[in-house]
Amino acid sequence: MKRSLILACAIVFLSTLATGILWGQGKFSKETEEWLKKSELGPYETRGYDEKQLYEKAKLEKEVSVYSYSSRVHQFGKTFEQQYPGIRVKGFDMDSTEIVTKVLAEQKAGNFAADVIFLKDPSTVHHELLQKGLAFTYVPPDLKSVLPDRFQKPFLVHHVSLDVLIYNMEANKTAPVQSLWDLTKPEWKSRVSFPDPVKMPEFIEFLATVVQHGDEMAKEYQRVFGKPIQLSKGVKNAGYEWILRVLKNDAVIAGSTNDVSNAVGQPGQQKPPVGITAFSRLRDKEKNPKLVFDVAYDAKPVLGIATEVVIAIVNQAKHPNAAKLMTRWMMGDEKGGQGYKPYFVLGDVPVRTDQLAPKGSRTLAKMNVWMADPAYVWDYGQEIRDFWLANLK
Amino acid sequence: MSASAKAFINRLSIKLRQPQVILGLILVAILTAFVVVPFLQLVHDTAVWQEADRRIIRSAEPGGWTFFHYLRVFASPLSVNIFYRPLLHSLATSLTISLAAMLLGTLMAWLVVRTDMPFRKTIGIFAVIPYVLPSYTLALAWLDFFKNERIGGAAGICAYLFGVSPPDWLAYGFIPIVITLSLHYYPFTYLLVSGALVSLDSNLEEAGEVLGAGRFRILRRITFPLVLPALISAFILTFSRAVGTFGTPYFLGAPVRYFTLATTIFTSIVNRTPAVAYIGALVLILISMFIIIMNQRVIGDKSFVTIAGKGFRRRQTPLGRWRYPAVALMASLIGLAVFIPLLLLLWQTLMLYPNDYSLGNLTLHYWIGKSQAALAEGESGILRNAQILGAAWNSIRLSVIVALTTGIAGILIGYAVVKGRRTRLAAVLEQGSFLPYLIPSIAFGAIYLSLFSRSIGPLPPLYGTFVLLVMVCVAKNLPFSARSGISSMLQVAAELEEAAMMAGASWFRRFRRIILPLTMAGALSGFILAFIATMRELSLIILLITPETRTLTTMTFRYVEQGYSQFADAIILLIVILVVGGEFLARRIGGKRETI
Repeated sequence: MKRSLILACAIVFLSTLATGILWGQGKFSKETEEWLKKSELGPYETRGYDEKQLYEKAKLEKEVSVYSYSSRVHQFGKTFEQQYPGIRVKGFDMDSTEIVTKVLAEQKAGNFAADVIFLKDPSTVHHELLQKGLAFTYVPPDLKSVLPDRFQKPFLVHHVSLDVLIYNMEANKTAPVQSLWDLTKPEWKSRVSFPDPVKMPEFIEFLATVVQHGDEMAKEYQRVFGKPIQLSKGVKNAGYEWILRVLKNDAVIAGSTNDVSNAVGQPGQQKPPVGITAFSRLRDKEKNPKLVFDVAYDAKPVLGIATEVVIAIVNQAKHPNAAKLMTRWMMGDEKGGQGYKPYFVLGDVPVRTDQLAPKGSRTLAKMNVWMADPAYVWDYGQEIRDFWLANLK
Repeated sequence: MSASAKAFINRLSIKLRQPQVILGLILVAILTAFVVVPFLQLVHDTAVWQEADRRIIRSAEPGGWTFFHYLRVFASPLSVNIFYRPLLHSLATSLTISLAAMLLGTLMAWLVVRTDMPFRKTIGIFAVIPYVLPSYTLALAWLDFFKNERIGGAAGICAYLFGVSPPDWLAYGFIPIVITLSLHYYPFTYLLVSGALVSLDSNLEEAGEVLGAGRFRILRRITFPLVLPALISAFILTFSRAVGTFGTPYFLGAPVRYFTLATTIFTSIVNRTPAVAYIGALVLILISMFIIIMNQRVIGDKSFVTIAGKGFRRRQTPLGRWRYPAVALMASLIGLAVFIPLLLLLWQTLMLYPNDYSLGNLTLHYWIGKSQAALAEGESGILRNAQILGAAWNSIRLSVIVALTTGIAGILIGYAVVKGRRTRLAAVLEQGSFLPYLIPSIAFGAIYLSLFSRSIGPLPPLYGTFVLLVMVCVAKNLPFSARSGISSMLQVAAELEEAAMMAGASWFRRFRRIILPLTMAGALSGFILAFIATMRELSLIILLITPETRTLTTMTFRYVEQGYSQFADAIILLIVILVVGGEFLARRIGGKRETI
């Protein structure tokens, strides 16, 4: 353009650089230290759990805001308000990635709007928030004995969510697919509904877990096809090969888990697809009793992948005591409990060892699933996402 | 002091006394702060390591310079899928959409403004409604009608009614994207061209007739060149909007993996790999730059004065026996673009369970129902729902403030550009005011997010405030109003203001009494466009919204994602009601003069 404009741009550019995006890298800031001390969190956590005392303190804070990946926040928010009058719940539902993006921005801006975050994608929460001191884990002291170690360190797991293989039970008496490898067969060409992993991080976890179990995938291939697997050029293991072949089989990428369950579960279809979706989508059958889908419980090598849903308290939250009380409320009691009730459903697996699984469901131990490993997901998730992108048609 | 220096200062002070120069300088400064700086931030971010890159390249040091992102986008195994193919799709859809929308819009504008077509006022009012609907509304209605087994589930109404399943090419991808978006964007052309036609004096055409030119020749040599600026503005607005839109290509393209640059930009930002998205955005910016330069070549220095200081009248072309076919065509177009989709949406909101078209399935629950645990996670109907009503208030507040601010800014820019035509300042201002349009909404939001989430000089961090939403919407909508400001100012002869100047009127007085009234029609279009755009804006603000500042559109998208089409559609209808009401009010308050 014009020379003067270029000059002006250059000046502005240089000053932008000078301001720079600088972010302190120290352990905790002074403000955070003070807040932790005042809120009795992190290293300053108190031993016992005194609900009455906590409620008294929380009442002074008047409200608590929850960023939730799930719209069920409105349900446990309402029961919380009934249980603890005087504290208003501001519940907001958004995607897990959006929650992280927002909390990062709020932390940078010093606008501490969220108190509690409740979301998927534990590896990101761990690396981008917890490790940087932008969010803290609070395990209610009275629950420490009823939670397995892996569900309270380094983050508090609320429940385990399953993403599983589903089929239409009107068109099929029994599951028409018995193996993950069946999805790569010609008869399922264009008839596999898969949620977009680029949009939903839990499906990166899904794919990463399949890759992590590459050896088992290779064995399963041998079982299904009766011959050893031939990896395509440049493909590292059978897990990657599975992803590649599912894509090559013209899988339909769905925008949400809801789309998958609708696609698979609508009655009256001649050739319904199969799909991978959240187990808790079985709830949809209550919302829309006409849906006819079920989980392919006997699929090999697994019927699905289990991923963790975590709760954390945000750094310098304005209502730390109300946030603790909310965390405790959400974890429920041994019978399920009001606070946990929205998640006491088929497909969401409780983590408390003293809690029975919801009626009709099997416990995690009895179900043939692989647990996603947050550390592995963090290390290889991006590579797997790239692989997916590179091989999309 | 030397003589030459004195002469220089002299010249400078004369220049600085001209209102358009002062105004121009102020506006350029504002543009720099709100558009150029964020833009440079974007460029900067493409060339430094990002936090998230450490998941791919372990040795990456966030903040350090690198070409990594450029290599990744242009020359890696991912390039075809994250860049080249989406680019091709973006160009193909946007060009086709722009041409189709211009054809439709111009035809409609001419029929409404310059002919004796029956019901033309009614048609004129309904003509802009497609633009009011959030752009993905038509896409969702399209899917309801045409979807086939590909995405599974209940077949669309088409298969239900006719027993024939539509083929993929009709249900998804290029064809539906082009049809739905052309029907969505033609109002740009309609508004701009009808604005130009309204202020075009028929005497000019009659002069041609007197001189013996045929009707076609008059159209080609007189009418067409005079509406050319409006047409070109319309093309640019449509193209850059279409190229940056996300919802429709996503809903209609994803089932057959038909991705555009906009959808890849969106997903990259959601996945916190913004650098890749920003490079895509830069490419879009370059494409649009190219188109603008072409535009400048075409209009250049020609004069388009049509509102002169003499008598003015408008003649209508009789259509004869084409009157009724014309109105029937227009009515069915509007029916397809507006009423059928809206009816589909309304029907959806009344269905207790989706995809059950029986009468027994009808309910008002999603409008006025009380909370029921079994339905929609226990959320109450939208007219009882405090969150939705709060969001409605936010939407209204935001749209009005943004529309007023941009409307006024548009006239000021128009004035500074037209009065200073052929000066460097005017050219910078004109091009600068267009920059925001070239940055896709979603990227714009992301840039504002990263730029304003910390304090800058005296400014406190603006993230989470309502002010930031206003800022981003004003900046993004400036091109609309600047364009309409410029094209309406182009039609005001300088002699009018000069006469007042001779009579000793101050600049403010001249502006208020002459410029403002004469450009009102154009300014009002700008105002209405900004109001509508903000009312149904989604991609731009979604990253900047905090719980307290939610708007209706962000709620809709959320409900669409969760599969509560009833809530989503009900909110869309609410948006439509608000926008139509708002537009009606705006015309009542602002437009004593006939604008159609």
